[in-house]
Amino acid sequence: MKPWLSRFQSGIGLLLVFILAVLFSPHARDGSIIFLNLGNLSDVLRQQAEIGIIALAMTLVIISGGIDLSVGSIVAFSASLLAMLLVRWNGAGPSREAIAMAAAIGACALIGMVNGVIVARLRIQPFIVTLSAMIAIRGLARWMTNNNNIDFGFGQDLSARFAALFSDKLLVILLWAILSVIFYLLLEYTLFGRYLRAVGENEKAARFTGLPIARVKLAAYILSGLAAGLAGVLHAARSHQGNPNDGVAYELDAIAAVVIGGTPLSGGQGSIAGTVVGTLIMGILTNLLRLRLIDANLELMIKAVIIIAAVWMQSVRKSSKA
Amino acid sequence: MLECKDIRKHYGGVYALRGVDFSIRPGEVHALCGENGAGKSTLARIIAGVTRADGGQITLDGQAVTIAHPARARALGIGIVFQELDLFKHLTIAENIALAHPDFPRSRVDRAALDAFCRPYLERVGLDFSPRSMLGGLGLAAAQLVAIARALSMRAKILLLDEPTSSLTEEAAERLLGLVREIRQSGAGIVYVSHKMKEIFRIADRVTVLRDGRHISTMPAAETSIEETIRLMVGREIDLLSRVESAPKEECGLRVNDLSTRRLKKISFAARRGEILGVAGLVGSGRSSLGQALFGLHEWTAGQVDCLGKNYRPRSPREAMRSRFAYLAEDRRSEGLFLNTSIRHNASAAILPALSRGGWIRGAREKALVREELARTRTKMAGDTLPVSALSGGNQQKVLLAKWLLTGPEVLFLDDPTRGVDIGAKEDIYQMIEALAAKGKTILFASSELLELQRCSHRIMVMCEGRCAGILETAASSQEQIMTLATGQASL
Repeated sequence: MKPWLSRFQSGIGLLLVFILAVLFSPHARDGSIIFLNLGNLSDVLRQQAEIGIIALAMTLVIISGGIDLSVGSIVAFSASLLAMLLVRWNGAGPSREAIAMAAAIGACALIGMVNGVIVARLRIQPFIVTLSAMIAIRGLARWMTNNNNIDFGFGQDLSARFAALFSDKLLVILLWAILSVIFYLLLEYTLFGRYLRAVGENEKAARFTGLPIARVKLAAYILSGLAAGLAGVLHAARSHQGNPNDGVAYELDAIAAVVIGGTPLSGGQGSIAGTVVGTLIMGILTNLLRLRLIDANLELMIKAVIIIAAVWMQSVRKSSKA
Repeated sequence: MLECKDIRKHYGGVYALRGVDFSIRPGEVHALCGENGAGKSTLARIIAGVTRADGGQITLDGQAVTIAHPARARALGIGIVFQELDLFKHLTIAENIALAHPDFPRSRVDRAALDAFCRPYLERVGLDFSPRSMLGGLGLAAAQLVAIARALSMRAKILLLDEPTSSLTEEAAERLLGLVREIRQSGAGIVYVSHKMKEIFRIADRVTVLRDGRHISTMPAAETSIEETIRLMVGREIDLLSRVESAPKEECGLRVNDLSTRRLKKISFAARRGEILGVAGLVGSGRSSLGQALFGLHEWTAGQVDCLGKNYRPRSPREAMRSRFAYLAEDRRSEGLFLNTSIRHNASAAILPALSRGGWIRGAREKALVREELARTRTKMAGDTLPVSALSGGNQQKVLLAKWLLTGPEVLFLDDPTRGVDIGAKEDIYQMIEALAAKGKTILFASSELLELQRCSHRIMVMCEGRCAGILETAASSQEQIMTLATGQASL
């Protein structure tokens, strides 16, 4: 296959899924294709933004040779903490929203740091470390909230104003877009990105080259915590509450998006553009299935088939290249 | 018995075999010779059903066969012992032997029957371990013998041995040669792939030489010689014995006093600037440990080292690099290369901080610096954005040399830099080493090939079991002398 073609392979996948969606989308009463409706398209983007942001950082973690299973729990923790601060904290001051948000995201970065330290310094397998974190953080979120949803207020209430701001479609989509560009630049043009790939591809060679392996891994997990924390903030704003039981299986959706985007779980390789495309493919398919009113449980099964098919097509492509 | 005709195989754009004919008769040892990359292993793997040929045909006892799978090869009576052993570390010897054996049912394990079945084969290969010992604890040499015992247990009519003595001691290798003769006597045909010419000429009946995937010649061993075979393998004359002319300077480059680590015992030596100090020693003698300890990869338990006149005690490779010390690792694939990464990014991997400003890599500067260095190391490539895995072993090594030269080192420890490198690239590497020494760099050149140490180095340090067994002036040294020191039979 020509190099430019294989480079845009996942882009072609996206195009195919898009065409599929156009063809199979139900039509509105005026004959227009509902899928192509601007409101619907922007809904797809907005619905995928949380997973999309998590998947960006997940890409880096996976390239470093690891995985982060704790992000779903972190979303719940972040949303709950934010809601608690906004609803129950009565302190005065001009920018309480900003402080609450910074506190929630900062705490999540700290969780990422703990993951990173255990992975990089104690050298325990990332799967096990983040699986434990996934369990522990879910517990923390439920304990903290007494397992209750913390609902945002209405009207001119602080939390209501906050929710109104951060559930704005355009803002959420823009945030995802900007972060995508930042992560892309980070991976492709910086020292950190280069080290990340080296460490993920051949850790021993990285050590023999004198690369700062532990620091690179640590940074990847901190970014993952940060991204999940931010996704939690957006999630709280969108659902108008902090629910300690939300975010379940987000980590798997994020990993699926990364994998569909052509990043192998073996580390060393991968791209941010692929992950964005993977997230969009998942989003469009979900949207299509929902527009056709297909049962949500059937939807899960179809999703699974799509993931396997996408990865299989990539492996076929690779072996035909070799 | 077995006849291969016009066998072809290519990987991507690289041709491993371009139409090779090969045959095995009953009761003969047929040696397969060639340099690295000549196609020996590929041919053996095709015969054993591990790799599929792209073209050509194989006939067995006059009938055309397709060997699509190792199990098919086994059923046809073809056994293979790979260079990289295909054994299971976490199973016992007996389990390894019986695992794929057609005589054993999968459903029920009768340990006593297993043991009784394996014992005679273990005895034949001279392995006196219990059949119930775990393979992982045995060491490479014993594992090799287990692999051979397994092949024997299949009652193979054709046995392929791929570098069977590469990890054996002299004694064990001797026993193996005896065993090969015995198997030959029983009427089996043996394909013997090896680099060791002396061994080949002691046991082979016929010798086939491959070069660049082509069949060059098949001769009765009695009608040819080591010299002729090597000439056919290489395809041109080489002068391995042209010695270095440059003279080292007076100043000291690296002075090591009583360096000890977990594996090293009180190593002391000094190398001057402009000197090439050969480091000889058998596998496991501590050659690589020395390089890695000096590069800050292992903890020192004692010792004092001066590098370029300054006290030197690196706690990490980065500190070592700052003191202008570089270590070219022995195992290129696992310790040096990022195989799927581009040539350019491999070459720049050690100097990225210097190439970046505020964390951003300056791409243009990287490109220019790497291009220049790769040209200096005479790396042949279609472009430096290709993955480094697309290069031959020799060119991969040149990329790694470039990577270390870019760090601007004054003292270089080159750990077996010509391992798995073709002769042409070897010559390039020797010349590069000499040029570096002529520029006043201190070179420590570790190698298993005595000939190349004698060709390049001013002096040769011989290591044995983590100690420095002696340091010889190259001009006054003989291979026997070096081997005596390396095997611990004498010390100076």
